[in-house]
Amino acid sequence: MPGEAPAFFAAYQRQVEEALRRIVPPAGETVDRAMAYSLLAPSKRVRPVLTMLSAEVCGGTTQAALAAAVSLELVHTSSLILDDLPSMDDAPRRRGQPANHVEFGEAIAILAAFGLLNQAYLTIARSYPPELAAALSRLVGEAVGCDGLVAGQAADLLATDRDINFDLLERIHRGKTGALFNASAVAGAMTAQAGAEAIASLSAFARNLGLAFQIIDDLLDVEGDPAETGKAVRQDARKTTFVSFSGVAGAHQLASELCQTADRALTPFGRDADRLRQLSAFVAARNR
Amino acid sequence: MSTHQDDPRVDELRQRLRSLGYLDAGVDRFVLGPARGARRPAAIALLSSLRVGALAAAMLGPAAATGIRARLPDLVTGPRDAMVVALYLAIFFGVAAAAAAFIAGLLAPAVARRLAGTSGDRSRVVSRASGVIVTLGCLGYLTLWWRAVVADVGWAAPFWTVSALAVAVTISLVLGHAVSIMSSAVIVAAAGGHESARRASWRSSIMAAAVAFGAAALLLTVSTRSVPAVASPPLTVVSSGLRLRVIAIDGVDARLLDELTAAGRVPALAQAMRGAALRFVEVDGRDPGGSDPARAWTTIATGQPASVHGVHALETRRVAGVQGSLHADPSSFARRLRGATDLMRLTRPAVASGDERRAKTFWEVAADAGLRTVVVNWWATWPARTDAGRILSDRATLRLEQGGPLDAELAPASLYDGLRNQWSEISAAAAARAAAALGEAPAGDTRVLLERSARLDALQLTLLDRITEPGTDLSVVYLPGLDIAQHALLGESVGSASTMAERLAAIQQYYVMLDRLLASELAPREQELVVVITEPGRVAGRQGGQMSVLGNVTTAGMRDGAATSAAPTILFALGVPISRTLASRPALELFGPAFVSRYPLRAVDTYGPPSRATAPRGTRPLDQEMIDRLRSLGYVR
Repeated sequence: MPGEAPAFFAAYQRQVEEALRRIVPPAGETVDRAMAYSLLAPSKRVRPVLTMLSAEVCGGTTQAALAAAVSLELVHTSSLILDDLPSMDDAPRRRGQPANHVEFGEAIAILAAFGLLNQAYLTIARSYPPELAAALSRLVGEAVGCDGLVAGQAADLLATDRDINFDLLERIHRGKTGALFNASAVAGAMTAQAGAEAIASLSAFARNLGLAFQIIDDLLDVEGDPAETGKAVRQDARKTTFVSFSGVAGAHQLASELCQTADRALTPFGRDADRLRQLSAFVAARNR
Repeated sequence: MSTHQDDPRVDELRQRLRSLGYLDAGVDRFVLGPARGARRPAAIALLSSLRVGALAAAMLGPAAATGIRARLPDLVTGPRDAMVVALYLAIFFGVAAAAAAFIAGLLAPAVARRLAGTSGDRSRVVSRASGVIVTLGCLGYLTLWWRAVVADVGWAAPFWTVSALAVAVTISLVLGHAVSIMSSAVIVAAAGGHESARRASWRSSIMAAAVAFGAAALLLTVSTRSVPAVASPPLTVVSSGLRLRVIAIDGVDARLLDELTAAGRVPALAQAMRGAALRFVEVDGRDPGGSDPARAWTTIATGQPASVHGVHALETRRVAGVQGSLHADPSSFARRLRGATDLMRLTRPAVASGDERRAKTFWEVAADAGLRTVVVNWWATWPARTDAGRILSDRATLRLEQGGPLDAELAPASLYDGLRNQWSEISAAAAARAAAALGEAPAGDTRVLLERSARLDALQLTLLDRITEPGTDLSVVYLPGLDIAQHALLGESVGSASTMAERLAAIQQYYVMLDRLLASELAPREQELVVVITEPGRVAGRQGGQMSVLGNVTTAGMRDGAATSAAPTILFALGVPISRTLASRPALELFGPAFVSRYPLRAVDTYGPPSRATAPRGTRPLDQEMIDRLRSLGYVR
């Protein structure tokens, strides 16, 4: 059925959910509950699954990649909480429930976001040998920092209510979505001790898939059903999106081509990368 | 899907996405492909540089072969040669590029560590810088290569020049990009992290290409000495009615000839040498070991130095798998290199041929002007041209001896059957003629040597007689016997003084034999000029060569001149205009004032390049037999 996750997905999601619950239990102080509220809300877990699949395709194990995978999900959730704040996108709903700041207040939401972010680095530091931990921390730091999420969100805020060109739009999405997609794939490969060529291939896969993911996000904002997407639609009405440049049909076309390119980047892995291809197909067909 | 593909907005976005690094999964993987599984920076650099080398080989090999084709047409004679040469050059450039890329890859992390900024910034800066350096280096080299191979074209052929520069720019950008990718991967690996190189925007790429193209065009412009192409005009003969017989004698020692003349032993030659004469101080780069016959006699025949006519040495090299040849550089390094490549069977010895010649001989010019010509046994005349009168090339004797299908040894091919059928008779007549001229000769090996040389000379004269038709305007024959005999007798250690004296006596006897053999040839008939050209040959001597012109329109006396004057002087005597591109002017002082004033010197801009219309090539070339023959005569080792 279109939009349904592949069958194998559930097992990976389950591993991620269990690990997340261990790291951030849904109990305790207000800020702990706020962290768990957003982190454990229903989610596709595309990024951590991408990390684990990347590790597998490079000859590693999901177990070894799990800490890196949940770290990236922690970072992603942190970014969502911050994105939804009134000072930023001012989004009322996320992951099928009221946004964190709506439920816990703005101050607690900010603290929860920072708590999750630091928990990500802590998880990496606790889980891997120093050399790999340092490399993964650098990877995550660069994905979050001034070339990644922060830069993307800043550019996005400045672009609100303004006409922007295609290059700036790409830069925004590269920072907000692509950086973390890329980090997810590369982190998995690093936990598997992969070589440069494998990492380059997975990076190309993630780069194209990340942009496809974002274009489909834009399309869902135009075409989606709030009941299915779990967030308010027409949120991006004040923003320039890919749909603004290409139209709805053109955006579908480009997303499809990006997913095909992502699949081609997996050629060196042969059939071993079939699950990554299914992930790509899932992204292309998703409706929420 | 086709509907969206046709949407100009989508297509525009697709192109922009490509320029931003999306919708492309290929190049990075190609360059980094062999490094899959490698984690150490040096290993990544080594394995990736192999792919950079492969890229360079694939692109630079064919491009350089095209340049070689323009520069050395003798080497690349057809598509097969071009492919083999491209393969050799591809290996060379591939290895060189791989080595350069490997070194760049090793240096890149060290440079990156010295820079400030985030690891991503450092990676980008250094990898792009390495790519730019490779691009500029490659572009500069290719541009200068193009300038070198088509030095006479430049912007006179704008289409080809622009095309060549576009190819150079493309190759340079691709190689620069490949090195940039490799450097980035190595830097990231050295830093312990991983980051894929981002691409420059398409605007930057196009601007870089435009700048590179402009720079290459400027480099080409400032370094090109443009020589406008000049068409060769038709040659109009103002005939004096004179016919010319040219007799070329190799190995003549002027001082020895003077002594024999004084002793009255060579009356016919003495008569010839006392005519209107021009003494050559030097025949085109004579070295202490004696002049190279193919080089020297081609200089005399073309009126151009070897740097222009292209025949540098008798012994050349053929590259394995290639039909064309390369001239053998006499330097010691080149000799050692030849030895090594011969040992590896990459090259093999070959003999200079007419294919290497880039200037017309005087008989080809005369034939172009509509005169009837006959040529026998001149150096580097194989393969015989079909549009230059009757010609028995320097391989004709060998073919006539051995029979078999022709391989352009003579032209027109219709001569072959008649000569071949009469070969026994011709050989016998030549032997009798030589024996009669030689007379009493010393016994033993020396006699055998003198007889063999004399028969060879007599054979050339007999063949000349057989193929010369009435009304021939120009007949030319080259006699190698004296040089062969002299080289055999004096070319190596001669031992005792008595042996030296015996050998000197034998050589003197050969002069006497030549005098008798040529006695009738040296006497000009009515309306005829006899031109005798001598050259010291392979045994070194301080005296140069000489050209003597015998006939009733000449002015006796010896003058100094150049060997390159011979061809224009002969053409002047025939009434053919003289090319302004020749290295020397005709020696007008050899002719009487009345003749010169009645037939003033006329000039044309150029004779144009030599014709490539050769007689049909056969399936059994005499390459090896020719080398064996020349080796037996002491010409090649």
